[in-house]
Parts: sequence; C-alpha cells; structure tokens
Amino acid sequence: MKGKRLLGMITFCAIFGLIFATTNTLMAQKVPEKIIIGHPEGMSGTYAKAGEQAIGGVRACIKWVNQTYGGVKIGGKKVPLEYKYYDCESKKEGVTSLIERLITVDKVNVVFAPYSSGLTLAGTPVAEKYKMLYMDHGGASDRIFQQGYKYIVQTIGPGTRYHMGTLDMIRKIDPAAKRVAMVYEDDEFSRMVLKGAEDHAKKLGFEIVFNRTYPGKVTDLTPVLSDMKAAKPDIVIGGGHYEDGQLFCRQMGDLDINVKALSLVASATLPAFHNALKSLAEGVMGPSHWEYGVTYSVEGAKKVNLGWIGPSQDEFVKLFKEALGKDVIPDYHAAEAGAQVLAYALAVEKARSIDPTAVRGALGELRFMSFYGAWDVDDTGLQVGHSMVDMQWQGGKRVIIWPPEAATGKLYYPMPTFGDKAKGKMAVPK
Amino acid sequence: MIGAQLTGNLMQGLILGGIYGMATMGLSLIFGVLKVVNVGHGAFIMIGAFITLWIFTAFGLAPVIAIPVALIVGMAIGFVFFYLVMRRLIKAPELASLLATFAIGILLEEIAKLIFGSEFRGYNWAVGKIILPITVFPMSKIYAFIGSIAIALLLYIWFKKTRAGTAVRSVVEDSEGARVCGVNVGWVYALSFAIGIGLTVTSGVLLTMFIPVGINPYMGGGYTLKAFVIAVLGGLTSPYGAFFGGLIFGLIENGSYTLFALIPGVEAFAMTRFLSFLILLLILLIKPTGLLGAK
Amino acid sequence: MKGKIVKYYPLIPVYIAYLILFLIGINVSGMWQLVAMLAFYCAIGQAFNIFLGMTGYVDFGYVAFMGVGTYGMALSISHLHQVQWLGMGIIIIGLLLALVMASLLSIAVGAVALRLRGAYFAIATIGVNEGFRFLIEGAKIWGGSEGIIFSGQLTQTFGRETASLLSTLWADIFLFFIACIAAFITIYYMRGKIGYALTALREDEDAAKVMGINVTKYKIIAFITSASLAGLVGASAWALKLTYVFPPQVFEIHYTVECIIIVLLGGAGTLLGPVVGGLVYGLTKYWLTVIVPGFQLLIFAPIIIVIIVAFPEGIVGVLKRRFKGTTFKKFII
Repeated sequence: MKGKRLLGMITFCAIFGLIFATTNTLMAQKVPEKIIIGHPEGMSGTYAKAGEQAIGGVRACIKWVNQTYGGVKIGGKKVPLEYKYYDCESKKEGVTSLIERLITVDKVNVVFAPYSSGLTLAGTPVAEKYKMLYMDHGGASDRIFQQGYKYIVQTIGPGTRYHMGTLDMIRKIDPAAKRVAMVYEDDEFSRMVLKGAEDHAKKLGFEIVFNRTYPGKVTDLTPVLSDMKAAKPDIVIGGGHYEDGQLFCRQMGDLDINVKALSLVASATLPAFHNALKSLAEGVMGPSHWEYGVTYSVEGAKKVNLGWIGPSQDEFVKLFKEALGKDVIPDYHAAEAGAQVLAYALAVEKARSIDPTAVRGALGELRFMSFYGAWDVDDTGLQVGHSMVDMQWQGGKRVIIWPPEAATGKLYYPMPTFGDKAKGKMAVPK
Repeated sequence: MIGAQLTGNLMQGLILGGIYGMATMGLSLIFGVLKVVNVGHGAFIMIGAFITLWIFTAFGLAPVIAIPVALIVGMAIGFVFFYLVMRRLIKAPELASLLATFAIGILLEEIAKLIFGSEFRGYNWAVGKIILPITVFPMSKIYAFIGSIAIALLLYIWFKKTRAGTAVRSVVEDSEGARVCGVNVGWVYALSFAIGIGLTVTSGVLLTMFIPVGINPYMGGGYTLKAFVIAVLGGLTSPYGAFFGGLIFGLIENGSYTLFALIPGVEAFAMTRFLSFLILLLILLIKPTGLLGAK
Repeated sequence: MKGKIVKYYPLIPVYIAYLILFLIGINVSGMWQLVAMLAFYCAIGQAFNIFLGMTGYVDFGYVAFMGVGTYGMALSISHLHQVQWLGMGIIIIGLLLALVMASLLSIAVGAVALRLRGAYFAIATIGVNEGFRFLIEGAKIWGGSEGIIFSGQLTQTFGRETASLLSTLWADIFLFFIACIAAFITIYYMRGKIGYALTALREDEDAAKVMGINVTKYKIIAFITSASLAGLVGASAWALKLTYVFPPQVFEIHYTVECIIIVLLGGAGTLLGPVVGGLVYGLTKYWLTVIVPGFQLLIFAPIIIVIIVAFPEGIVGVLKRRFKGTTFKKFII
C-alpha cells in the first residue's frame, strides 16, 4: 500500500521533471546554417495591434532577405534568416523568461525587443546579462538609452522628436498661427513627446496657451476639451495611443472646436482612424516614422551618399500582406520592425560574424537607407539618422505633407471645420 | 468664465451620468439577487457596442434599432452562462464567483478578438447638434440619454407592477423568506441574471451612441471599474439606485475637473479619477448601503 | 517537544518543491528565468493566501501592495545611490522601505476596508488600488506617470557585473526567500491561536464575535502580514529585477486576478496549495505561449471556469480528501 503511494509520488516527480526536460529540448534542434532572430512580442493584451504589425513586418523583410537578397553573406556563404517569436501577452513577466528561452533554448543570434518602452526596458537586464544584441523597434523613450546599456540599439526614433516636424511646418506655412494647445495622454511615452514639443514650440516662438494631460484608457474627454476650447488655440497637438486619438478627434467635433491644424500621435496615422471617423478625420495630421507612399528610393539614397538595401516600398507591402495573410496596408510599427531586420543583416555582413558584440559594434558604424528611410545610431544606441514624416488625411487617403523631400502631396490648411466635415467635405487641396 | 465652464461641464456630466447609470443597472440587479459581483461586466458592454456597429455598418440602420436586438442577445447569453456556470456558484464563496465572472469576461473578449480582430472601430451617425452658448450636444448623445431614462423607467415599472418583478424584489429582500412563500427562487435567479446581462449589453448600445469610436474587444475594462463605483453610490443592490448613482457620478467626474484645473501643478483629469475612488471609500466607510440606499 | 516539530511537517513538501525548482534553475542552463517566473507566481500565491485563505476575504486590490513595494525599492536606489558608503545597504534599505510602505498602506486600507464584508470589501480594495494610482499620476508623486527608471543608477553604483547579477539572479533568489518565509508564516499562523480564530471567522464571523474572539485584531494581523510580503515581492520581482517602475504597470489589477487563480487552482487555505497552483498556472501559461502564441487566453479562460465549477476546493483540496487517514496526511495541508 505504502509502496504504491511512493510509486505515485515518484511518477508525479517524473512527470514534473519531464515537463521541464521537454520544455528545454523542444524546438531546440538548431540548424547551424541559420541565423535566428528571436522576438518576444505582445500578440495579445494591450499591444496586440502593434505586435501583429511588427511580426508581419519582420516576416516580410526576412522573406526578402532570404529570397531576393539570397541570404546574409558571411565567410563566402549566404546564410538564411529564421524567425522565432513568442507572445509575451504585453506583460513584463513573459518578457524576461521568453528572452532567456530564446537565447538559451532556441539559441537565437539577436533578440528584438517587444513593443513599448516599458516592455523593452523589462527585457534589458536579461539581454545584457547574456551579452545579447537587443534591438528596439518599439520603445521610443529616450531614457532607455541614458542607462548605460551596451547591447541595445534603437530603430524607432526617439519620442521627443514626434511633434517637432509638425511645428516646423506650421511655422513655415502660417507664421500668424501662434496659439498652440497641447493635450497628451498621461504616460511615459506621451510625456516624452510633450516635452520635446514644448521645448521646440518655445524655440520657434509659439505661445503655449493650454497644456494638460488625460489619463490612459479614458472614455470621455469632454471636460478637458471644453477647457481647451476656452483657450482658443490655433493649433492643437496631442494624443497618446489608439482609442484615445479617435475619441479626441470625435469629441472635438462633438464640441465644435474648430482649429487650423490638429495633429495626433499614433492613432491618427492608422487606417482605423479614418475607418472609425470617416469624414471627421479629414485634414487631421499625425507624425509618423513611416507611411505608405514615402518616396525613399535607390536614387534618393545615392544623393545623400547612403547605401541602399531592402525591398522597394511596394515589394514590402506585398510581402507584408502575404506574411499576415490579410489585405492590410502596413503601418509604421511594421516598417520599423522590418527595417530592423535589414539593419541586422547589413551589420552581420559588415562585422563578418554573428557574435553579438561584433554586430553591435558594426551597427554603431552602420549608415544606410531602406524603404523605411535613413538609419544611423549614436554611441548609446539611440536612433539619430531616421527622420519622421507628417501625414494628413485627404479624401480618405494618407498623404505625406512634410518634410518637403519626402512629401507626396501638399498640405491642406487650414483644416475644414467639423461642421463642414460632417457634411462630407474632404480636405483635398486644389 | 469659470461659472459658465462649470455649468457646461455639469450639463455634459448629467447626460454622461445617465448613461453610466444605465450601464450599471445590470451589475446592481445581479448583485442584488445573486450576491455575485460581475467582474466581467465590461465585456458585456463590449458585446453591445459590437452589435450596434454591426447593425449600423451592415444594414445602415440607426443605432436605436440595436437596443431590442442587444436586449435579446444579452438575455440569451445571460441564460446560457447562468445554466452552464453561475447556477453552480450561487452558494459558493465570493472567490469562486468573482473568478468565474472574470474568466467569462476574458472568454468573451478573446472570442470577440477572434471574430472582429483587435482594431479600434467606430461609426458615424450624424443627426445634428444642439448648440448652446456654453456647450454643444450632438443629438445622438441626447437620444442616448432619453433611451437610458426610458429603460430605467421601464425597469422600475416592471419591478413594481408585475408579478415577476415583485418576485425578484422579494428575493433581493430575503431569499429564504421568498422561498417559503412559494417563490420559485431558482427561476428568479436565472431571470435576474439574464435581465442583468441583457441590460448591460443594451447599455453598450447607448454608450456607443454617446461615444461612437474606440470600439474594441478590450474596451470594457474602464467601464467595469466605473460601474463598481457607481453601484456602490447607489447602494449596490438596487438597479434604480445605480441609475441615480450614475447621474451623481457623471456630475462629480465632469464638475470636479473644472475645480481641479484651478489647482496648479496637478493633473486635473487624473485627480478626478482619484476623487471618484476616494468618494467610493468614504461612502463604504460611512454608509455602505449607498448614498441612496435604504438602511 | 515532538508535537511542536510535527506541527511543521507540512512544510517539508513545500520546501522540497522550492528546492527542486531552485536546483533545476541553477543547474539547467536557460531555465533560471522560467524558474524565477514560477517562483514569482508561487510567492504571490503564498503571500496572498495568508489573508484570503484564512479569512475568505477577497482583496481585489492586492496588487497595490506589490506596487507600493516596487516604489519602495525604486525610491531607495534612485535617491540613495549617491551615498557611497551605503553600498549594498541601499538594497536592504529598499527592501525595508518596501516592507514599511506596504504595511503602512495596509494599515490604512485595513482601517477602512476590513469593516466591510464580501463584495463590499472586494470593491473597496479595488478602489484603493485605482485611487492610489491616480493620486500618484495626478499629484505627480514619485515622478508621476513618467515613473522611475533606475537601471543606469544601479549600474553606476555597483558596476555592470554586479548590477546584472542583482537583476538576473539575486532578485529571483530573494523571491525564493520570500516564498519560504510566507510558507513558514502560513503554517505558524494556521497552527497558532490566530489560525483557530480565523477559521472560526471564516465559518461564521458573527458567531465568532459572539464567542468573544477578537476577530478584528486577527484579521488585521493576517492582512498586514500578507500585504508586507506583497511589498517585498514587488521590491524584488518588479523593481530590482526590471529596474524601472511605471505606475500603470504596477497597479495592474490583472495581477490580483492571477493571485486568485493560483490560490484557487491549488486550494484556498491550504499550505501546499499556492505552490501547486503557482507551478501549474505558470507552466501551463508558459506552455501555451510557446505552443499557440496569441491564443493562450482563449484556451485558459474556459479551463478556469471548468475548474471553478468542478473542483472548487482546488488540487490540494482534492489530494487532502484522497489522503485522509494515511501517513501522508501529516504532510499535506
């Protein structure tokens, strides 16, 4: 009787051990002729949307490297890239354990950080411990790069720059528009944008007439927008993530707050923005790291003395749609994650090695252009080469209106009133 | 200046509060009868929002049409979950029912994500505006407000005037006593849960009439927390108490913004949230039966 | 004398489980972070169980104590890192600060919320968690919504190697310590006066009061103990390990739900329960993310519902029934 119990206990322990053992060996069969990119991305939870885009972008560019480019050249051989990703559920616990799994079990050669500054930070101690190259495609906080980390490199541009171009543009087009209202979400990323915009606006001689934040996951912005209306701004800049941006524009319309220009971070640049708001979205602008329609090309790269790599924009979009199996136009989350693959491939070729320390060194010296634009990082790993573009909704299409060298159309200014927009007026320049 | 702004905000708050109140009635009804806090509350609001979106975009019908559809769908879902899950948990400790309703919420969110994707959606039902000197109201908000008052009133009448309503009330008061008096308590549980869920799903319709954007599988979380505060304001067991709780909550949330905005160095909007939870604690401390609740 | 030791026999399986876990983490390469995650779940389960398991009160805002603890450690490192002679002392001060801040908050919460019962208590604690978070953001306390990032300061103070070890090894070892302490306290309370008092309370609070048991006193003791341990978990698993703190991430109510799931899976009010629950929960979730990335919640939610309906007493509850009257009984509670 006792023996039977004991046997039961032993079986229990054995099963327990087996779970560990299999966790360890499953998917561990590494093929030495491959370079593996690991990615603990948030596919569910708060950042599911951006996560899906990023994975699509990475897969599209890996396919391009393997099929069109023929693989990454090291030691006279062309080595294909492979992609290994898990879902961290947009939670910090998942990030640390999955990064370690990617490094030790899947033996990846580089880890791509998950979307958002917080989750990117959560993974840094583990990546640094393993001296693993850690590439950041979705953590825009400048503060990540002030911590003295050695193995982190940024592809997305720093947060402080988001609204600088918008302000430059308006300064140039309408010097009479002086009164700026800033209404941002109250979180780490948006505050970074706010701070950069605030400093830049003061430098350009704007008058900041309203400066407030709203909490995350907000469902009604009426009080803060009514307050803003009383300040009579010419220009409104603000936003935070996704739903709040839609709400922002919608409720400005509800309250009949008409301004000359409205620019919202993140949400305004996504197709969902126009799908949800229809004609109310007309004339709304947004800063973006990349937009479908940017005019970066091989010739353009030559002009500024940069090497070119990667698919053309249309090729990228095609590969992206294949990768996701959906007919959606990629947004900047996809483009920056994709460009990161190209940067890595180039750096490996430059370093002639897949050793993370060597590749990190090569990335520091690398400068190139792709469909995503220019790429250059400073000593801390902060992205300094990439410039942002500004887009505007014109007749249901996203048109790039700034900077002039990347623009695909002219700015429609001032923005039509919400009353006109509700009647179906489009912000298409004549 | 401040006066006009405060008045404008209070008027907006009243309208919003009416809808918040309506969105909490289901929670209070379920708690009153089953003594179960529906932690998955927000997920049911989300279903209502998607029903409205679907009716508007697929058939071009006014969101008002979605109200009866949402009520029927909601009640059906309510019955299903009651007989599959909740029936077995009525006598269980809080722990089990809290977790079960939370898990139901997650399940609904994930199913919605599977069907609709995680995109933020919206629709545009333009039916004009009322423009006052101090503020502006789109007609859709006014319709939503009228709708929620009408539903609250209907529920009140149902409670007071019908046999089923009286049975439900008797179970809220004393379920053992009701059983002794020959009330089919099991059926009252099922019916109340279904109506509670039906009301919550319907409130999703009204909420999208108020805010027709940001419709997404995970949109309900914020409403769940608000509903808790409102339910406590209204005494937690009484659906129409919850309705008035909502009105008060809307007034506090929007009104206090104007006042907090006068204090330098704080984020006024975040402080309004802090205030609402502070009020929640104070009420629980002083009068746990709610501002409007009986003794 | 012997009776005294026998009392603590049930700790043996718990400690053996932790030891096995620890040894696997140390010896098998690439297992440490997974083990650390499991230790995290076991520790929060164990700490949460001290209050929930013994009293039956559901503290839905439990995560607030972890959040406050995180801030304790973050504040210590970010403010005291310039004080050279403190050295490793700032970590100890951080842990102490986490302990003090979490217990102070729990005293404040306890004074208000512990007069309430059932759902009222659950909602009040949610209110505390959310209210506290919005106070931090709204009044811009401790960096407000921008939070605190202190990895740079950690590296400056201790050097790259030590800072890395602190984040990737010692923070997790602390977690094992906390889990072990929590287990010990659980059994100490269970087998002491407080355990009997709280059992009476859980069965029928009013009757316990009538019998002259000072219910409130024991409730508060259990509440503060549980909260302080949560503060320590936050200080090590969130602050020291991740080296930053953003308010929305540390006051995320989902973590309370995870605590509840763990305790309920394993068996509320048992000693071994949170360990079993933590391991089962952590491993299942990890497995699902590896096998079906993106769909784990869709699979997990119905499983939870089925478990609640079919095994409300949890895995250890079932085992306890099975082993009733055998020698194993001594080891499983």
